[in-house]
Amino acid sequence: MRIFNRIVVILLLAGLVYLGIATIVYIFELGPYQLADLPNTLGFSALYEGLNGYLGNIESGNVDALDVIVLSAIALLGLVLLILELNPPTPQRVRMQRGTYITRRAVEREVSPVVEQEPEVLQSNVKVKAQRKSGAKVQVRAGIRPGEDARSVQSEVQSRVQQHMAETGIPVSNLKVRVNESDPRQTNTRVK
Amino acid sequence: MRLARAVSEAALATEGVYSLGTGRYVEAATYGPGEKVTGVVVGPDEVRVHIVVRYPLPEPIPALAERVRERAASRAGGRVTTVVVEDLEVVRDENL
Repeated sequence: MRIFNRIVVILLLAGLVYLGIATIVYIFELGPYQLADLPNTLGFSALYEGLNGYLGNIESGNVDALDVIVLSAIALLGLVLLILELNPPTPQRVRMQRGTYITRRAVEREVSPVVEQEPEVLQSNVKVKAQRKSGAKVQVRAGIRPGEDARSVQSEVQSRVQQHMAETGIPVSNLKVRVNESDPRQTNTRVK
Repeated sequence: MRLARAVSEAALATEGVYSLGTGRYVEAATYGPGEKVTGVVVGPDEVRVHIVVRYPLPEPIPALAERVRERAASRAGGRVTTVVVEDLEVVRDENL
């Protein structure tokens, strides 16, 4: 939502800058620009007439199926954006206890070597998300050679990570391990 | 600044703390005239301490962070104290 909000604000500010510059140019009547022509230049009158006609059609019940779909989609989009906006942002740091936190990067740096200790794992990718409740959400993606037993590697990695996290005391509320076959020519490690 | 320095000293004196963190995107520091205390952010109601933990760990990280928080809170002048573990630093055993 933050990125979306930034895009909207950037577009809004760019529009305001354009309007401001246009207004200054027209107020001082620089060159051929006359203040009386400003609404026509900005296209407000055409926009107003189009909107007026469209709303008139809606009020008189003259709405075709496409309009209903578009208006419903806009209403639905608005509702989704409202819910996303009301939803509090996910925290940046992993809460351990009251008043104590650990950064996501530190958790990643703890998990990653443990995953790569597994002899079958050629490379790994660890993503950590902080949650509003205590504990981190950890997603591990491990690459193994084609033909290896993915299930046993997955359970082995899972138990290794759980054990290490228990030793260090870093709370993990959700641990997901995915194992997929990777071409050893494209992985960080070819042979272990 | 005095409070930031006191909190910094308390945190660094805790066993298991390697150093104070610097923050990642924004520098975690308290600024004074001509000097700054890195790793401690003092606000009007809150004190935040960023630490780098020494590895191997003397105790589990939450317990260590809680101990740092208690020590820092005693010097934080009643402000709410939070501790952020920013990183872990592996320290080689000198006996090896």
